[in-house]
Amino acid sequence: MEPLIEEAALEPKGASIDAMTAPTGDLKKVETRHKSPTQIALARLRKDRLAMVCLGIFIFFILIAVFAPLLAKLEGQDTTTLHQDLIDEYGFPTISFTSEHWFGIEPRLGRDLFARFVYGARPSLIVAISVTFITAVIGVCMGLLSGFLGGWIDRVISWVIDFVLSLPYLLFAIAAPAVILSVMGDNPTEADVSQVTRSRFIALILVLSFFGWASLARLIRGEVLSLREREFIAAARVLGVPTHKVLFKELLPNLVAPIIIATSLALPTYIVAEAGLTFLGVGLVEPTPSWGLTISNATTYYRADPLYLWLPVLAISILVLALSLLGDSIRDAFDPRTRR
Amino acid sequence: MLLYILRRVISAISVVIVTVVCSFLLFFAAPHDPAGVICGPKCTPERLKDITNSLNLDQPVVEQIGLYFKGIVVGRDYSAGGVTRHCDAPCLGYSYILGVPVTDLLARAVPVTLSIVIGGATIYLCFGVLIGTIAARVRGTTLDKAAVGTSLVIGSVPYFIVALVIALYATFLPKSQYVSFFENPFQWAAGLLAAWLCLGLTNSAQYTRYSRASMIEALGQDFTRTARSKGISERRVVYRHGLRAAMTPVITIFGVDVAYQLVNTIFTERIFQLPGLGTRIINAFNQYDLPVLMGGVIVGATVLVVMNLVVDILYTVLDPRVRLG
Repeated sequence: MEPLIEEAALEPKGASIDAMTAPTGDLKKVETRHKSPTQIALARLRKDRLAMVCLGIFIFFILIAVFAPLLAKLEGQDTTTLHQDLIDEYGFPTISFTSEHWFGIEPRLGRDLFARFVYGARPSLIVAISVTFITAVIGVCMGLLSGFLGGWIDRVISWVIDFVLSLPYLLFAIAAPAVILSVMGDNPTEADVSQVTRSRFIALILVLSFFGWASLARLIRGEVLSLREREFIAAARVLGVPTHKVLFKELLPNLVAPIIIATSLALPTYIVAEAGLTFLGVGLVEPTPSWGLTISNATTYYRADPLYLWLPVLAISILVLALSLLGDSIRDAFDPRTRR
Repeated sequence: MLLYILRRVISAISVVIVTVVCSFLLFFAAPHDPAGVICGPKCTPERLKDITNSLNLDQPVVEQIGLYFKGIVVGRDYSAGGVTRHCDAPCLGYSYILGVPVTDLLARAVPVTLSIVIGGATIYLCFGVLIGTIAARVRGTTLDKAAVGTSLVIGSVPYFIVALVIALYATFLPKSQYVSFFENPFQWAAGLLAAWLCLGLTNSAQYTRYSRASMIEALGQDFTRTARSKGISERRVVYRHGLRAAMTPVITIFGVDVAYQLVNTIFTERIFQLPGLGTRIINAFNQYDLPVLMGGVIVGATVLVVMNLVVDILYTVLDPRVRLG
C-alpha cells in the first residue's frame, strides 16, 4: 500500500533559508500530495483486471448506443424500412447474413436487424442511466434531510420510505402506463402511436425512479445518523455554518463511497427492469427499437431464426453481467472490509 | 411484546389504507374520463351512464373513496346493462369488460400463483441450502469456487431471460399448464414442473451464497469446535449442529422472498402461460381494465405487508436476541 500523504522535501538544496525572500519557483516545490479516499479507491479499482474488462464492455455498449446512426449508415440500412421483397410467403426471411444486412432481417416485417440492434442499445442505457441519476439525487437529498434534521421531518420521510419499499413495484409498473396515458387527457384505447410511445417512456422512467430512491435514502439516512454526531459537524455548527453548507460541504463528501457503491449496483437492475417490462408489453412499444421488444417478438421464431432471439438475449445478459461484476468490484474497492 | 405486535399491526394497516387511497386517486380521480376508460372500446352512451352512476363518478372524490371502502367492508351494488348485481364483501370493484366482480377474478387466480411459488420455493430452499452447505465444507477448493462462480453468473443474468430460454428449449419437460391439485395431483405437478424448476434454479443461486456465508460463520463458532472435540463425526457436526445455527438468517430472508414472489411471479406466469395473478393483471393492462388493475395492486400490496408483518413477528419469537425497539 502506498503512503497516504507524500511530503516533498521541505528545503530544496541550496535554497535560501528565508522563505520570504526566496524566489516563487522554489516555493512551489514545497507541496504535500494528498490522496483522497476516492482516489485511493480508484487506484485500487484500476489494478482490478476483471473490473477493467467489465468497464471496457460497458464502454463498448455505450459507444454502440452513441454511434448507432453512424453504424447503421455504415451498413446502409435504417430501423424502419420494410424489406418485404426478401420475405417469403410464410413470413420467413430468404437471406441470412449478407453484406447489405449484416445480421439478417426480421421475419414477417423484414426490418434490418443490425440497425435495430444498435439502436436498441439506446433506450436501455438512456432509461437506466437517467433513472440511476434521478434516484441518486432524490435518495441522497431525502436521506440527508431525514438523517440530519431529525424530528418530524425524519418521521415523515422514514414513513414514506417504508411505504414505498412495502409496495409491489412490478404491479405498479404495470398499472402506471395505463394511468399516465389517461391522465395525459386521452382515451387510451384511441390514442395515437407517437403519444403512446412518449407516454410509455415517461411512465417507465417515473415508475422506476419512484420505487428506486427509497432504498438509497434509507442507506444515506443511516450513514448520516452516525456522521451527525462527529466533531467536525459539531465544529461547523458552532462556527455558524448554514445548514445547507453543512449538508453539502461537510456531510456529502463523506458519503461518496456508499453513494457510488449503491448507484453502481443499481444501474444493471434498471437495465433488467427496462428490458423485462418491455418484454411483458408494459414498457416501450413499437416502433421504438428495443432489445426487450425484439426478444418478445422473436420468441415465435426461435427455431426458424435463432439469431433473431439470441442477439438481444446475449447483449442484455453480457451487459448486465459485466455491470454487476463491475459493481461488485467497485464495492470491494471503496469498502475493503467487504472483500471476499 | 404485545405492544410491539400492536404497533406493527397498526402501521401495517396504515400502509394498506394509504395504498388504497393512493391507488384510488391514481385510477379514478386523476384520469380525465375514467368512465370512458373503464367502459372500454365498445362503449355505448347508456353503458357510460350506467358506469358513471354506479361508481358515483359525478360525486366528490372523498365520497367515492368512502364508497370504495364501504365496498371492501360490506359490499356494494353495481349496475351493468340495466341489471344491478350485488358484489359481496370484500368487494374490490367490478370489471365492466368481463362482467364479473374483481374479487372473483382474482380469487380464481390465487391458487395458481400459490402453487407456483410454493413448489419453486421448496426447490430453491432445499437445493440452495444443500449446495451452500457443501461449498462451505470444502471452502477454498475448486468445487467451492465453481459453486460460488456459477451462482454469481446465474444470479446476474436477468430472470426473464433464464425463464424464457428454459421455456423455449427445455421441451423434454412436460407441457406447462395448470390443473387444480384437488382434481389431479399428478397433472398438477407435471404441468407446473417447468415453472418450478425455473424459479428454483435461479433463486437457488442466491440461497447458495446466503447459506454458504452463514454456514462458514457457524462452523467457526465455539460450539462447532466443542462438537468436533467430542469426537462426533464430521457429517453430524455440519448437518446437525452447524446447519441448525446457520439457518436462522436464511429462513428470515426466505420469508420475505416468498412474499415478494407471490406478487412478482408475473414473468414466470407470462412465459409459462399459467393463469395466475400476474397473467390476470397483464391481461387487465392490455384491455385497460382499470378496476381489475387496481384490485390487483391492492391485493399485492396487502399480501406483501401482511407477509412482512408475519415474518417480523415470527422472527422476534424465534430469536430472543432481537431487541424490540
